Amino acid sequence: MFEQLVGKLPVGIGIVDEDFNVVYLNDFFLDRLPHNMRSCYKETPVVELFQGQGKFLKRRLKSVFVLQHPSFSYWEQRPHIFPFKSSRPITGEETQMYQNMEILPIKDKTTGQRLACIFLQDVTAQASYFRAQQKLSEALKKEHEAQRKLIRKLDTAQSQLIQAEKMASTGQLAAGIAHEINNPIGFVNANLNTLEQYASHLLAICDGVKTQLEHFTDDLKEQISVLFESNHYDLLKDDITELITESTDGLTRVKDIVENLKNFSLETTEGTQVVDICAVCHQLITLISAQYSSPQYKLQCEHEKVEVMGNPGPLKQALMNVMINAAQAIEEKGFIKLTVIDAAQSVTIKILDSGCGIPVKNLKRVFEPFFTTKPEGQGQGLGLSVAYTAIEQHQGKISISSKEAKGTVVEITIPKQSTAAASCCEESEVENSQAT
Amino acid sequence: MSIVLPLDEEQRDALQELLNISMGQAANSLAQLIETKIDISIPKISAVTPTQLYSLLFETKDAFYTRQSFLGDVHGEVMSVLSQAGLSEVATLMDYDEPLSKEDIQEIILELCNILAGACLAGLSEQLELTTNLNMPTLFLPDKANFDELQWQHSLVMEVQFVIAISSFSMRVVFCLDDESLARMKDTLDELLA
Ligand SMILES: Nc1ncnc2c1ncn2[C@@H]1O[C@H](COP(=O)(O)OP(=O)(O)O)[C@@H](O)[C@H]1O
Ligand SMILES: [Mg+2]
Repeated sequence: MFEQLVGKLPVGIGIVDEDFNVVYLNDFFLDRLPHNMRSCYKETPVVELFQGQGKFLKRRLKSVFVLQHPSFSYWEQRPHIFPFKSSRPITGEETQMYQNMEILPIKDKTTGQRLACIFLQDVTAQASYFRAQQKLSEALKKEHEAQRKLIRKLDTAQSQLIQAEKMASTGQLAAGIAHEINNPIGFVNANLNTLEQYASHLLAICDGVKTQLEHFTDDLKEQISVLFESNHYDLLKDDITELITESTDGLTRVKDIVENLKNFSLETTEGTQVVDICAVCHQLITLISAQYSSPQYKLQCEHEKVEVMGNPGPLKQALMNVMINAAQAIEEKGFIKLTVIDAAQSVTIKILDSGCGIPVKNLKRVFEPFFTTKPEGQGQGLGLSVAYTAIEQHQGKISISSKEAKGTVVEITIPKQSTAAASCCEESEVENSQAT
Repeated sequence: MSIVLPLDEEQRDALQELLNISMGQAANSLAQLIETKIDISIPKISAVTPTQLYSLLFETKDAFYTRQSFLGDVHGEVMSVLSQAGLSEVATLMDYDEPLSKEDIQEIILELCNILAGACLAGLSEQLELTTNLNMPTLFLPDKANFDELQWQHSLVMEVQFVIAISSFSMRVVFCLDDESLARMKDTLDELLA
């Protein structure tokens, strides 16, 4: 009865001796043997009967005989030990059977012979279910990742749009204001110059009268002195030049701002031409080091000349603004390093300073027009927005990264051959001009 | 460790002696199988809380973990910690071909644990004249939080370390018994001592 039961069990049961020769196989194994082998399988080496994973099977059998201890194998690591077809040859998806195996040491009760019993379980259904699940979860994971990427892209696109819009409207506004203010500034300036001359004439007259006072009659002398005193002539004389100088200075500042605003809209007449970035950098260092002498300036160019096609005015202005920021960020000791990298299609300029750096909360705002942390009179908050617009005009990109108290690096990349004419169609280029 | 061992001194000495013998046998079996010298540490017996067990086992860096339960006269679990270092040398000894796939590595780990834990358990059972059956091993990624939530208060652990002489490979095997099995083992030890 037991013999029958074991024969019909829905798991494979096979017994081998210490030479790995087959002693017994139940129906599970027999059904899967070639027909002509079914009657003469005994005493055949198991690895000859079932070819494929012979080396592995032998190893495991040896271990069981040596250690007298069961051995296990799972489909996850070794799916097909015996070369059997799936239990559903017609409808199944898996063509090969997935198997779990366990080998147990046993002893023949009558002879005392050491044997090993192989249990083989068909786990094809579990395995294919498991694998389907895994595929599904992988697909889900991929989709999820794609979505996250998309969201990130949307986020950046949105912030870039806002940035671009701000720039565009401010640019127009600035240009308009600059134009309007320019006229009055012109005549105020002219008038102020005349006024200065007139004032000096008037003072000369008064001083002349004062020195001639001795020659007047006592009565007249008295009257004139009273006139001088009641009008506080001494004070007036001291103040008037100072007032005029101050006004002239103030007006110069207004003119500077207007000039900057005009730059902001970057309406230049020069047009596109060859610009040697290395030469520009040399010039700028000379210019800026004259005013800001404490930092050490270094310039690293790969080649003597690195040329791009561009508008020299705006380009210089952009680099200048960034470099001035770098110089202003350095209080006492520090360095500013310019690196010009010549790539095939583009040029990258890195402006690195060891200055005060930018706090994270400000970093997002530095390209905003009129954003400044500098004391009044020192910064108008236009430097970086001007630079941004200029670089954008060249289809380049400008980005800034900074660590507080460590320093800042601004990276500007401009294509060598900017396609200014096609710029309206190249929305994707604008997307790259990160303003953070 | 502040917890008193649930064994008295005599029982403890007896168990230590049995462990020394059975672990030695286990090392010999493995040595025979892979034809290499294997060193073992002197087995350690102690009582731990779940949290202590966690740190005992899983605060080793760069390791693989497995667990395997056993039933029979005594019930419990064997947990093993295998070093990642030196595994490829061991694989060569076990007749695997380079390069090892992820599946090969898993298979080697499971097999090593099965062999060593099995040998240890078989040795111990034989000495104590108890029957035990080891279930199949599984890979294990322990979570500290789960350990803190375990129901038992403390457990007897027997710990031994195997080092394969020609490589940097080492492996620790830790046996844990449940309370009932601990009582049974104490009885058995007493019988042996009597
Ligand atoms: N290299 C730098 N180091 C530190 N802070 C900087 C640097 N560049 C820009 N900033 C910060 O960005 C702000 C805006 O710069 P900018 O647009 O040039 O305006 P401004 O220089 O007139 O303030 C500055 O006020 C400063 O806080
Ligand atoms: Mg500035």
